[in-house]
Amino acid sequence: MTPSEKTATMAHATRVPWLTLRRKEAFEAWLFVSPTLIGFIIFFLGPLIAVGLYSLTEWNLLSQESTFVGVENFRDALTVNPDFWLVVRNSALFALGLVPMNMALALTLALALSRPFFGVVFFRTIFFAPVITSAVAWAIVWKFLLQGEAGAVNQLLASIGIDGPNWLREPDWAMFAVIVTRVIKMVGLNMILYIAALQAIPRDYEQAAQLEGASRWQIFHMVIWPLLAPTTLIIMVITTIGSFKVFDHIYLMTGGGPENGTLVLAYYIYQQGFEFFNVGYASALAIIMFVIVLALTIVQLILRQKGSG
Amino acid sequence: MFRTKITAAALLGASFLVSPAVAQELRFTVWTGNDAHLSMLNSIGDSFKASHPDVTVTFETIPAGDYIQKLTFQLAGGTPPDLGWMFENSMPTFVKAGVLDELTPTLAATDGYDLEDFSKPAMALWSKDDAVYGVPFSTSPFMMFFNKDMFDAAGLEDPLTLADKGEWDMAKFREVSAALAAANEGKWGFEFKDGQGYDSRIMHAIMPPIRVYGGNAFAGGECGFEKPEAVAAVTQLHEMIFKDGSIVPPGEQGDFFSGSSAMTINQISRASKMPDAGFNWGIAPLPTGPAGASPVIGQAGLVVFSKSKNPELAKEFIAHMTNAENVAVMAQFFPPARKSVLDSEAFTNANALIPAAQMANVKAAISDGQVLPSHERTPQIEAAMKPRFDALWKADANVEEALKAVCAAIQSEL
Repeated sequence: MTPSEKTATMAHATRVPWLTLRRKEAFEAWLFVSPTLIGFIIFFLGPLIAVGLYSLTEWNLLSQESTFVGVENFRDALTVNPDFWLVVRNSALFALGLVPMNMALALTLALALSRPFFGVVFFRTIFFAPVITSAVAWAIVWKFLLQGEAGAVNQLLASIGIDGPNWLREPDWAMFAVIVTRVIKMVGLNMILYIAALQAIPRDYEQAAQLEGASRWQIFHMVIWPLLAPTTLIIMVITTIGSFKVFDHIYLMTGGGPENGTLVLAYYIYQQGFEFFNVGYASALAIIMFVIVLALTIVQLILRQKGSG
Repeated sequence: MFRTKITAAALLGASFLVSPAVAQELRFTVWTGNDAHLSMLNSIGDSFKASHPDVTVTFETIPAGDYIQKLTFQLAGGTPPDLGWMFENSMPTFVKAGVLDELTPTLAATDGYDLEDFSKPAMALWSKDDAVYGVPFSTSPFMMFFNKDMFDAAGLEDPLTLADKGEWDMAKFREVSAALAAANEGKWGFEFKDGQGYDSRIMHAIMPPIRVYGGNAFAGGECGFEKPEAVAAVTQLHEMIFKDGSIVPPGEQGDFFSGSSAMTINQISRASKMPDAGFNWGIAPLPTGPAGASPVIGQAGLVVFSKSKNPELAKEFIAHMTNAENVAVMAQFFPPARKSVLDSEAFTNANALIPAAQMANVKAAISDGQVLPSHERTPQIEAAMKPRFDALWKADANVEEALKAVCAAIQSEL
């Protein structure tokens, strides 16, 4: 072996293989996350980017005519279209009505049902059952119950001397009725989250507070409520997002009426996109809704951080 | 041996040359899922094989509520059907969008087709500037269905008897509705079509009265709702709902077919529900008004989509499906627009549930009827109208002001 050959052989022997342990682990990690990642790209990121591009066009879904209009759709929605601000107001009202009502009821139920007692599973099941009930069946049944004079709700009210309104035909009452029926349907989910959080709080804290002479209200207010804060934040975020995305209840119970009193953002987007075929405009509205929900979520996170700081 | 191989190769080659044409399929979208309807449609599809042995027609059901949306997705998504049914109120939008093929040359070139057999009013909605884009397969008039038992129990003459005597007008309609509501506590004299008169069937609820009062909805870019004739007609309905309590009010359900209302307006296809209703019934013409009679018809048509893979074949199938012979076959379910079929005795006896005398009224309504107003921007117009009509259907509403608000809301769309 000549000296030059010897040198070459040594260099070959000391070369680091391409597939190092680090690379191998990274490759395996990518392999593990790839099913979710591919799904995320195809079903979320891709459509999100597409909606962003569509929002810059005037695109008729039926005729397939598309024209680039820049930010004209956003300008029209924010400064010209009077219905847009009505719709935003309705969505805000819906969220303002639904989120506190849902959370308060969920927490009350969770406090009542977090401790074991005879029949607790039955009651938890009863309150959770609407969550897994078909939204269509739920809305149709409530529409029937909320009829004017002949409806079961008004018949019940009449039996105790109350003259109930024509729930789904008067704008303010229609919004109230849709919020309440939505709360009853979805409260079980938040109740379960609160029950899980309550059961995770060590009993020692409560017992220590009792030994210090704290009242039941003080125990809740000063011990349990602060410990529930992370769960409360999560529930508030998902309930707020859900309230801005509400569509099925509105579509089935009121169709956005009466007098546009329940015309909320998600339904308005549907109307523009799939009834009027204005996909570009509907996409711009969807982007606006995305920004609103994102902003609300960030505000909630900041408030939470400030609160804990 | 070599000669044998040559002969075999030649025969094989010849067999390719004379082999039948490649099989073709026509995809045809419909909104009916009714077995009897589909069976009839399939038989018409099979009969097309006599002239086109390699063509198979596949009927694909899309529920009516989702029909236009799903059809639009298929057209936009590059998987269009070749041909399909089309709602009357969607037709102008589809024609404007340029997604339908013209049928005139194919229909004109088809032996014995006779396009003139369709009356001009029947074809008005399906043509634009003398070009035919669709052929109506169903031209069904709106008739007054009545619960004869409730009329008899209240000691009232039914609408059919009144119509025969020439006394069935809007005033009589109001009078008997009020009497029926008074005689049946918790029930009503009249229900709007399918109980949807305040929601998706606003036009079905108000247009028959408006027309017999001499008014219209919109024409030539002008709104007619605020004209005195329309105001008078809607005022009558408003008073029947809120003063007389004789029409099922908003927010209540008073289903005619389960006996909660004595009358309703609907098309004769709904007669199929009557054997299960459990009461004696009949159908009569719509009441006349100050402007006389003005029957209303509802149509559905056949169209070929421009993006079809086989547009010429699809047009030939429409010509086949709407020839006189097949229109007569379809008349058992779908009232025809062809005059020759309409005038035949077979049509008068076509519906097993409706006596020939009452079918004569159906025939007259088809001959003289007008479709509901349509527009290229119908979805936008209806969406703009809806909240203003919501404000109208209140006990304390000022009808004239509310109708002015309707016109103000839709004028920009007209």
